[in-house]
Amino acid sequence: MKDLKAWLGIGLTAAAIVAAVLAPWLAPHDPMKADFVQSLKPPGSPAHLLGTDQLGRDLLARVLYGARLALFIGVCTVLLTALFGGLLGLVAGFVERWPSAVLMRIADVQLSFPFILLAMTINAIVGLGLQNIILSLSAAGWVVYARVVRGEVLSVKQRDYVQAAAALGMSRSRLLFRHVLPNVAPSIIVVASLQFSSFIVAEAAISFLGFGIQPPTPAWGSMLSESRDFLYVAWWLAAFPGAALALTALGVNLLGDWLRDTLDPKLRV
Amino acid sequence: MRAYVLSRLAQTALVVFLSLTAVFAMVRLSGDPVLLFMPMDIQAKDVNEFRERLGFNDPLPVQYARFVGGAVRGDFGESLRYRRDALGLVLERLPATFLLAGTALLLTLFVAVPLGIVSAVRRNTLLDHVGTVATVLAQATPGFWLGLMLIYLFSVHLRWLPTGGTGTVAHLIMPSVVLAAFFSARIARLTRSAVLEVLGEEYILTARAKGLGEGRVIGKHTLRNSAIPIVTLAGLEAGQILGGAVITETIFAWPGLGRLTVQALLNRDFPVVLAAVFFISVMYTLVNLAVDLLYGWLDPRVRLRA
Repeated sequence: MKDLKAWLGIGLTAAAIVAAVLAPWLAPHDPMKADFVQSLKPPGSPAHLLGTDQLGRDLLARVLYGARLALFIGVCTVLLTALFGGLLGLVAGFVERWPSAVLMRIADVQLSFPFILLAMTINAIVGLGLQNIILSLSAAGWVVYARVVRGEVLSVKQRDYVQAAAALGMSRSRLLFRHVLPNVAPSIIVVASLQFSSFIVAEAAISFLGFGIQPPTPAWGSMLSESRDFLYVAWWLAAFPGAALALTALGVNLLGDWLRDTLDPKLRV
Repeated sequence: MRAYVLSRLAQTALVVFLSLTAVFAMVRLSGDPVLLFMPMDIQAKDVNEFRERLGFNDPLPVQYARFVGGAVRGDFGESLRYRRDALGLVLERLPATFLLAGTALLLTLFVAVPLGIVSAVRRNTLLDHVGTVATVLAQATPGFWLGLMLIYLFSVHLRWLPTGGTGTVAHLIMPSVVLAAFFSARIARLTRSAVLEVLGEEYILTARAKGLGEGRVIGKHTLRNSAIPIVTLAGLEAGQILGGAVITETIFAWPGLGRLTVQALLNRDFPVVLAAVFFISVMYTLVNLAVDLLYGWLDPRVRLRA
């Protein structure tokens, strides 16, 4: 059962990566090209495997390009939050006095909002588009790393080898990057993998609500948003982008669970 | 105990104040609220009059002081769109959100907790595997997509339920199921692992060895001891349900706080955004405080200190 889940996770994640990287070669049509003669064709049409939307754009092509956008946003956000949140957590855990207190207060403020609402509010204020959605998700999501990393650093710091190195007169920055960071790295990786799917789902939800990525860009969230007007006549417009999102999230979740069990079974996120 | 509650309430007040300040700062730094709200073709004279009337012509510190002064008295100003008291609009929407979130939370507890317990007690049976697959799937399924698919199945195809709106119990079914689905998955998984952990304890072995019936072993010894992680997560989730409500209410046109917030953000109706943010962060922190107080009752070993 455990192996099955891990393999399913690896398989689904790999499929999403292949779709994202090879979208221009796999897509049978241009995802942005409208063709009104071919509008709202159901799945299984000769030239359009997953059917077409209200403007006659090929749904398969749009779903594939959607993978590209979703994974790009996910990767950028995870890297930004891991770097920024991880670094702050590292410093706050290492230099206990005021940086730690300030960081924890900021974290408290951020954690007094549901994540999705915070990201959406920031996005509504900073503006729409690809860069801003990555920025908003990162600004709302870094706290988790900061807290986890700070907690880990506080415990790693007490271990004998760190104390010994400090006693031998190793400089603080060298201590931090040579001894503490490598021991905290596994939990950063685990948190990153578990956060990844929540970032891509949040991006889709925010775009679905009318912020974030706007039509006609083929993002899964904005495609689902447009599909609402055609639910009575074209179920496939809602079914396929959503299924792609759910399967990607499933794959990454399973992969994250497996990584946690392998790297850091005690970690609770 | 009283000192603890008081100091936590003071912390809550500080957090809420800081979050309001942060939102105020972001809103004002993002541009002129009047120009953002007004249509493109408006006359400069009208803009200025509107600005003067709402006090946007004053220096920022003055505006901030006025904002804080108003906020502590529950006055967030007038909605730019509805020309009504922003707080009043928010309060009007609260009951609908409470109804939806409460139903979803009850649904979660009545479905997810028993499912988790049964999965743990009947570990590695077919039932456990089916439960695991269901929870993993439910956890990965985005709520707004589940909502769309349910609308297609039950409203468009079968015509059993209304697509959205409010008024009858039938209106409540789909939104609360969608809202509960995601949280049920997490709670069921956690209940299963918490119960499994307790079942491995020596006092359970003792209870069984002294011939206690399985019903009492599970019902009394196991459940009470596995309640703490479940309550912790349920409390955290109760707050996140507010976030989920934002999306669910929008899909099902449910007239609650979440939908009001989304519309206010889309319309750039900032007094309403601020009032809504205030309420959500107050509720969220109070729920977390209530959860912490529950620990003391569930596990007398936990001593709450200020």
